[in-house]
Amino acid sequence: MRSTIQALVYGTVCLFSAHAFAQITPTAEQLQRELGIMKEQLRQMQEKIRQQEEAIEKLSTPPPPAPPPVPAPPAAGDREQLKQEVREEVLRDIQPQLAAANKTFPSQFNPAIGLIIDTAFSHRDHGGENFDFRAAELGISASIDPFARGYAIFSGSPDGGFSVEEAAIVTTSLPYNLTVKGGRFFADFGRLSHFHDHELPFVNRPVVLDRFIGGESRADGVEASVLLPIEHYVTLTAGMYNKMGAENDRVSDVVPRGIGAFTYLGRAATFFSLSDAHSIDVGVSYAYTPKVEIEQNAERHLGGIDITYRFVPLGQAGYRGLVWGTEVLFNSEKRPIGGFPTDPTLPPPTDFRHRSAWGLYSYLEARLSRRFYPGFLFDFAQDIDRAVGDTKAYSPYLTVWLSEFQRLRLQYTYLDAPGNHENELFLQWTAVLGSHVHGFRDR
Amino acid sequence: MKRFTLVSLSIMLMLLASLTGADAKLRVVATIPDLADMARNIGGDLLEVKSLATGVEDIHAVPMKPSFVILLNRADVLLLVGLEVEHAFLPALLDAARNPKILPSAPGYIDCSIYVTPLEVPHSIDRTLGDQHPRGNPHINLDPVAGKAMARAMADGLVRNDPEHEATFKKNLAAYLAMLDTAIARWQREAMPLRGVKFISYHPDLIYFAQRFGMEPAGTIEIRPGVDPTPSHIVALEERMQREGVKLVVRERHYPAGLAETVAQRTGAKLIELPVMVGGVPEAKDYVSFIDYNVRTMLKAVQGG
Repeated sequence: MRSTIQALVYGTVCLFSAHAFAQITPTAEQLQRELGIMKEQLRQMQEKIRQQEEAIEKLSTPPPPAPPPVPAPPAAGDREQLKQEVREEVLRDIQPQLAAANKTFPSQFNPAIGLIIDTAFSHRDHGGENFDFRAAELGISASIDPFARGYAIFSGSPDGGFSVEEAAIVTTSLPYNLTVKGGRFFADFGRLSHFHDHELPFVNRPVVLDRFIGGESRADGVEASVLLPIEHYVTLTAGMYNKMGAENDRVSDVVPRGIGAFTYLGRAATFFSLSDAHSIDVGVSYAYTPKVEIEQNAERHLGGIDITYRFVPLGQAGYRGLVWGTEVLFNSEKRPIGGFPTDPTLPPPTDFRHRSAWGLYSYLEARLSRRFYPGFLFDFAQDIDRAVGDTKAYSPYLTVWLSEFQRLRLQYTYLDAPGNHENELFLQWTAVLGSHVHGFRDR
Repeated sequence: MKRFTLVSLSIMLMLLASLTGADAKLRVVATIPDLADMARNIGGDLLEVKSLATGVEDIHAVPMKPSFVILLNRADVLLLVGLEVEHAFLPALLDAARNPKILPSAPGYIDCSIYVTPLEVPHSIDRTLGDQHPRGNPHINLDPVAGKAMARAMADGLVRNDPEHEATFKKNLAAYLAMLDTAIARWQREAMPLRGVKFISYHPDLIYFAQRFGMEPAGTIEIRPGVDPTPSHIVALEERMQREGVKLVVRERHYPAGLAETVAQRTGAKLIELPVMVGGVPEAKDYVSFIDYNVRTMLKAVQGG
């Protein structure tokens, strides 16, 4: 019985236990479902926490900057401006590099170079005909440094010679409107005496300039000029030279001399504007040589007045206009009676006398079209030695500009000189190669 | 003695005051009136502006006068178009003016072309091609959009010379550019009938204008820039005009009338005369009225007015 009771108790316990286990032990599906529920609850909690954290973050930090507004598509005008600005920006950026790149080429520092060829065919009643190779002038110019510029003109002449016509240093940054020039250059005497032959408005240099100055006013020395600081244009020039005149062979350029044997120059030039189209340039020049050795160390005075009237209608300046230029020169010096002997073996003259002579040229040139510039030149000069009569010349001429760089000129001259009355005819052909600068003084 | 001292002091003070007053303004010299007008708009009362050319001249050959030397000698700033358009007169004048402040390497030398993209830049430099401008066609002032770039370059240059007034220059520049923008929009609207219209001119002055308003340059009376025509060139030009239906001949007012009239007559084309600078005609008083005049004159010719 005891074993029966034990068995019943055991069985009951087992039954209850099995039921109990059946009650508290879930199945795998239940467990999976519950796990899924728990996972979902966990995700919801995490989401909630994240939202709360975000809310806390928002509350605890300043609001972020508003996102940049989306630019509206630019209007046509704005687009153009934008493009232009970008272009300018690019140009601004690349220009220094471009400039620097250019400077890496050593030739960039070479001076500007130009060559002028001047040739003519001439006929003279008493001299026959000839092709005259007048000159080939090679000009170079460049800045030297921030304080000066330099230029030189070398000339090949008809006889095969080669000469330095000019080679000068010119200051560019002196105070008080001051400019100093040194070396070999054309002295600032008068107007046409410092024009090169090919720059003259007619074929030949006026007789008075050849006779009193000695051709171009070439001089070795130094010259200072100042532009006066007033409202009216006035320039003053002072110069000191070995001598003046390319063909002046009375004084040597290579033999040293005393201070009294130099030539000293003074010049004043001004300008009057009569209207927009009409103007007058006036200049007064004076060259003084205290001692001219071959003239018994006597002094020489050379004075000149130059007047240039211009009619330049501004709107038609390329094909209409008129220029009247006149220069009067007065020369005073001691000369041997009867002049210097032409034969160098003869003894030098001893009998000198004070002489004065004067001369002038005057020309009128019209600008009828872009190509055709007719003109007329009158020449007059007294003989310095007064041994013979006066020389006069009458020269109508026509300049034809084929372009800015090439020119033909036809000139007839009736020469009325002592012992020589003749007709002369010239056909000049001049061309410029390379660099070509329009000078203010030579305008 | 005391009275003399007082009078002397007063005179000195007056002189000083006048000098100070004179120095307060930047002395600006412009090569052409277009630049002078822009400078007055940008600089206002801060500048004392003078122009060398009056506007009727050939921009390549403004006659050199000694009075220009005086103006340049006293200038603080020089305004130039640039692209070597002033090559025939400006270098010689600068040489004579003896003013280091406005030499090409100095800050006072303001080249107004630096922000413009040039047209017709030559591929080779050769005088057989005429009087070339190595950096391109320099007639930029006839295009109002290039005019804006010129104004900007000018303003930058003025700031460089007078940094104290940078804000004023920039403010005035903005106002001026806005005014030009309005005008440009109007011109482009009005100039629609010019699109595709072929024309010849005496010299290639109108390249930028043509590009802006859609016109087509069909040749020049000059055989090459700066070189007068030969008879055979004129015959060839007339044939081309007939062949291509060119019905408009433009004579820039500083060129001779005869040949342009003959070409127009022979080809049955309309002849008009245009200024190339402010002041070239009385109606072109400033930059806006200058462009305005050119646009309207072109339109009148094209529309048969």
